[in-house]
Amino acid sequence: MELAIEATNLTKTFKGGVVAVSGLDLQVPRGAVYGLIGRNGAGKTTTIRLLLGLLRPDQGATRILGHDLWVAPRSVRARVACVSQAQALPGWMSLAELTRYASHFYEGWESIQVRDLARHWSLAWNQPVGTMSGGEQRRVAILMALAPRPAVLILDEPTVGLDPIARREVLDALVSRMGPGGDCTILLSTQIISDLERIVEYVGIMDRGRMMTTARLEHLQQTIRRVQVIFPDLSPPPDFAVPGAIRSQVTGPVVTAVAQVANDEQLDPVRRMPGVRVQLFSLGLEDIFIELFGHGERPEPAPEPVLAGR
Amino acid sequence: MGTSNLLHFEINPHSGIPVYRQMMDQVRYYVASSVLRAGDQLPSIRELSQRLSVNPTTVVKAYNELEHAEVIEMRHGKGAFVAATASGLSAKERETALHRLARHLVVEAKQMGASEEALLRVVRAEMDNVYGQDKPGDPVGFSVLRGLRRN
Repeated sequence: MELAIEATNLTKTFKGGVVAVSGLDLQVPRGAVYGLIGRNGAGKTTTIRLLLGLLRPDQGATRILGHDLWVAPRSVRARVACVSQAQALPGWMSLAELTRYASHFYEGWESIQVRDLARHWSLAWNQPVGTMSGGEQRRVAILMALAPRPAVLILDEPTVGLDPIARREVLDALVSRMGPGGDCTILLSTQIISDLERIVEYVGIMDRGRMMTTARLEHLQQTIRRVQVIFPDLSPPPDFAVPGAIRSQVTGPVVTAVAQVANDEQLDPVRRMPGVRVQLFSLGLEDIFIELFGHGERPEPAPEPVLAGR
Repeated sequence: MGTSNLLHFEINPHSGIPVYRQMMDQVRYYVASSVLRAGDQLPSIRELSQRLSVNPTTVVKAYNELEHAEVIEMRHGKGAFVAATASGLSAKERETALHRLARHLVVEAKQMGASEEALLRVVRAEMDNVYGQDKPGDPVGFSVLRGLRRN
């Protein structure tokens, strides 16, 4: 498996001893779409800045297209595009002026495709960018990032602050540029987890600077499940535990748990207990995230195989 | 192109069920309920991915799995079509899957205290409903498929 983006043991501490990123490993296969999720301050933006070569790590290494961008030649950096959280577009320029200006920095700038894409995304060509809506401005930023036909596109919170319609427009813009063959590798960070489930193949969950879990999305969806066990009598036996439980709760005769269920047979011992009923429910990505990180205590990184199930 | 481009594909990305599985279920449902028939063309990968705002790789995966299950066939350069024998399951697979479903039903029935006679009567009635009038839009067909997937 060829990797487009790679980080090993990445560590960055800021002045005052704030550990922003700690021993982080990240692998994005070429052509894949990877979603980096985590709460505010989890270290997503710092990770992206380290990957882009805008910050120097204290430890560890980053590779994009096989290069450390801190020292990579211009020809490599020109193939990596980025849309940052605070994309500052010159508001007085129109898209026509902006693209003409930016095209001089790149050899592979696609003037005709940019024009087509702007039409397709209903972006005004001659209107000052500053007068456009938030969603339109974000799409202008993505359009500018896509125009040099990058091999890697990195987006930091591309949908933050946008209403649902604008968010969908941004996602649609990205989808329209994802190929089934996958010529462009995309890494995006977001707190809006619900945006990810339509488009990402891989998910990395960060917490306090560390990578807690990284896996294929469908692998997470299929293995982390809500399990409900109903006992026929008033309460379950005192030593009862759902196999693979990450957390569980007992309410009268009902035990509900969030568990790592590798296969259905794992619960057969419970099913064989007399009179006991077992039900399995699927969890959306947002529920998985909240179940893993939204309960105060901080779990250790899950013993998940990296890029499981490829 | 036929009607397949007009068909609604219901996708809930937040359900926790992988999107490609949901797509497979939709196609199987349409085939099982004769909304899609042998030889009908399915939407192209790009068309479906844009319509549903999902990664094209996901559609590719759904189509590949459906092709593997012989529900659809991919014709080079032309797209995806419903296969001539689109049952999707071999006789042996069907037998195994039926056993699994039946065991689930019997266990549940016993736990709620239903008699054997009552169970057989209900199954017979449901069979009359479904096999008696195999009409398009049959929701039971879909629930059977969902049950298959769960196991």
